[in-house]
Amino acid sequence: MFGGYATGKVSRRLANADGLGNTQRMFDLRKPLVFLLLGLVLALPALAGSPRVLRVLTWQGYADADVVKEFERRHGVRVEVTQIDSDTALWQRLMASGGEDFDVFAVNTAELQRYIAAGIAQPINPAAIPNIARQLPRFRDVAAIPGLMHGGRLYGIPYTYAEMGLIYDRAQFARPPDSIAALWDPRLQGKVLAYNGGTHNFSLARLSLGAATPFRIAPGGWGEAVQRLIELRRNVLAFYSQPDESVALFRSHRVALLFANYGRQQLQLLRAAGVDVGYVIPRDGTLAWLDCWVVARGAQERKLVDAWLDYMLEPQVSGLLVSRQGLGNTISEAPGERAPSKLSWLEPVEDVGRREKLWARIISGDRVGRVLAP
Amino acid sequence: MSRGGAVSRPAVKFGLGGRFTLLLALFGVLASGLTGYYAYSTSRELLVRAAEQRLLTATQVLVRQLVVTLESAVRDVQLLASHPLPRQALAATSAAGRASAESGVDALFASLLATRSDYFQIRLISAQDHGMERVRIDRDSTLLLQVAGDDLQEKGHYPYVFETLRLPPDKFYTSPPAINHEEGAHAGLGRPSMHLAMPIHDAGRVLGLVVINIDLERIFKQLSADLPPEITLMLAGRHGDFLVHPDPAQAFAFDRGQRVLIHEQFPATAALLHGGSAELVTVTGGDGPAAKVAAFVRYRLPAEHIERAFILGLAQPLSDVLADSDAVGRATARIVFAFSVLFVLLAVFLARAVIRPLNQMLRSVERFSAGQTRTPLPVDRPDEIGVLARSVDALQKQVDGQMAELHDKQLELDHLASHDSLTGLPNRRLFLDRLEHTLARVRRSGEPLSLLFIDLDQFKEINDRLGHAAGDVVLQAAAERMRGVVREIDTVARLGGDEFIILLDATDDSAVVANVADELLIALAQPVRVGAEMLSIGGSIGISSYPRDGATATEIIAAADQAMYRAKNEGRNRFRFACAES
Repeated sequence: MFGGYATGKVSRRLANADGLGNTQRMFDLRKPLVFLLLGLVLALPALAGSPRVLRVLTWQGYADADVVKEFERRHGVRVEVTQIDSDTALWQRLMASGGEDFDVFAVNTAELQRYIAAGIAQPINPAAIPNIARQLPRFRDVAAIPGLMHGGRLYGIPYTYAEMGLIYDRAQFARPPDSIAALWDPRLQGKVLAYNGGTHNFSLARLSLGAATPFRIAPGGWGEAVQRLIELRRNVLAFYSQPDESVALFRSHRVALLFANYGRQQLQLLRAAGVDVGYVIPRDGTLAWLDCWVVARGAQERKLVDAWLDYMLEPQVSGLLVSRQGLGNTISEAPGERAPSKLSWLEPVEDVGRREKLWARIISGDRVGRVLAP
Repeated sequence: MSRGGAVSRPAVKFGLGGRFTLLLALFGVLASGLTGYYAYSTSRELLVRAAEQRLLTATQVLVRQLVVTLESAVRDVQLLASHPLPRQALAATSAAGRASAESGVDALFASLLATRSDYFQIRLISAQDHGMERVRIDRDSTLLLQVAGDDLQEKGHYPYVFETLRLPPDKFYTSPPAINHEEGAHAGLGRPSMHLAMPIHDAGRVLGLVVINIDLERIFKQLSADLPPEITLMLAGRHGDFLVHPDPAQAFAFDRGQRVLIHEQFPATAALLHGGSAELVTVTGGDGPAAKVAAFVRYRLPAEHIERAFILGLAQPLSDVLADSDAVGRATARIVFAFSVLFVLLAVFLARAVIRPLNQMLRSVERFSAGQTRTPLPVDRPDEIGVLARSVDALQKQVDGQMAELHDKQLELDHLASHDSLTGLPNRRLFLDRLEHTLARVRRSGEPLSLLFIDLDQFKEINDRLGHAAGDVVLQAAAERMRGVVREIDTVARLGGDEFIILLDATDDSAVVANVADELLIALAQPVRVGAEMLSIGGSIGISSYPRDGATATEIIAAADQAMYRAKNEGRNRFRFACAES
């Protein structure tokens, strides 16, 4: 569902696989020493008498080793970072122990509600996290971000995000496209690439129709959305699934406009491929995912957890999301951004199954009547 | 001495023989073990290499088979695209003309589908109306289905449509293998498929295309149909994603958002993927029970515009390949064991052959040291041991000679210590010794014995008057004569000065003893010639007997001494019995 989300992280994880291999080999060579150190490390907490450990479950790039080391130094604790690479893995990991195995984890707003419902997430006291004051107003306004609150209590601290903007060929646009509706522009027929994903595309169709609630389609609203997506189908060259697929199509067919489901990652890929492209977040808004830090039920030392949340919002930590990962952070505007855009943070949709079923018919080439048939 | 020799022996704890045996056995076992091991590993290598070659050949055959299948499909699509009916159907301006042409295309497609069970679907797609399907025959389980009306779909956004429409008239399009997710595709839905398409042109304008949807599973199954069960077929696409894998969950994993890549499972195939000149490669990957021997061949489809390539591979478990080598291994192990035993026995035999003469010499030297009879030495051997034995023999003989000499000297010394140097008679010490021995014997046997104590008369005067030399002559003569009188078994000894004593064994008969004494007196009375002078000497004799005159040597000597003094006092040149006075 959040393909870009997962895949971006996977590819980063894969990029690091070799490094891990080297470390592994080094370990083999220095086994005795490692065992000795391991023994010492294991013995130390026992000697100290207070096993102060912070257990973090998160994504690649959210808590890099240097960041963790600094936190450990400041608080005299040990931080145990466990990395996951998909929403499914995150859910399984936390459900395995009812959230007792971790102190803190990172999850996106669309997913958060089910963690709250499962009792895995704990409410957060914003007053205990002074660095919230550093956040941009739109991230401080937690009540306006769907999925963060439950029963009037805050459950997540917004940390990082990526939006699904439009990538355009500078040579084919005098002025950058400024609306999501450009994807339907008949002048661009056969020169548009869109993403092959039912859930996102229905939200996208709703956004382009100016709907206030892209994630909620009323029973009477399906016909309009399906018609809109069939129009999109007739206007695009193709629907892509993977970032590299989009890059290949973009280059070989002189594509003018691309809906970047994977955000700036696709922009980087295209630029790396030598295509002169621009990136724009439509004036009328687009979809975006937003990851938050959440306190797990297993949180042992609340003060330490709050210190971690506060630390994550420090400029030198949050800044790495931009510089190292190409993601957005919550304390400064993304580089090159004109003005705060209208981003629709992903939310659980009304009916994933129905969206995907109808989308399968739409992409298969069915016409409205057949798509909406029972 | 002999005890000392025996003690020195156990000092040899781990002897030369043991060491020699061990060393020889070790060399032998090592040599046969190493030979066995190398024979075994070489046989394994040969087996693996043979398996690789076999798999490679089989893979090439399979690639050829795949190529033939695909080429026949290409011929089919070329045939359909060049057929006048599809062109007429697309170009028709009247509804009636179009309908009749389309029904002809229907029959054309259906007849082809009926003969080619590896096709899912054949379609005629228009370049107009967003790539609307115009004629479509689907396979639905065993039936062929004509899809029409509302069920026809717009396919313009699929690469097999927009890519094909851009092709020149004589070129064809091949899609990458993928799972078909197009709704309403009947038998082909959700199955691995590949599209083969060709544009239809008319008067320089592209009207549409013909597309055949190929059932890859069926083709793959045909490929692996003749393979023995232990050999598994693998097929990967251009980027290394598995299309066929022994574990079905790893095939077409990219369709589920995962990547299961051939070069991650068989790193050597990376060379095939990244172009390179390597058109074929054989690898042996993995460890332990998962180890496999595999051969891979890359094949590039001769499609236009887009490069499509397959990597086809066959794998066989290494354990399977090496099953024969295990038998070889067991046979080798048996041979190695047999040879090892042989070597150990040989080592024992050899060691004994070398050590036996050494032990023989050792025994000889030991017995020699112990003063026992010498055992023979292996002096006849022509080798170093023979030389050693001869040296030892010579040494022993030398020692023997020296010992004999020593013994003679010893005897001489003994004689000197127990005999009077002047007269050659036993001296006082030897006499007392003999007396004690004789007493000890006669005490047991109850036999008697007698002592005759003799003192020469006028000896002092001769000595003083004529000198010691004359005295010595007299003493020698007296000794000579006394020895001439008594029996061989009797002992004549010089006690010192002019005193002699005679032990008469087994005699106490007074008459016999008196007779002996008389003969002694007569013999002593004969004149002795000293220079020009004839000297006459005589003797006084005291006689005692055991047990009559005493129980001990001292007592009977003292008794004879006293009797001698009596004889001297009573006028010399006579004898007296000790018993006579008491």
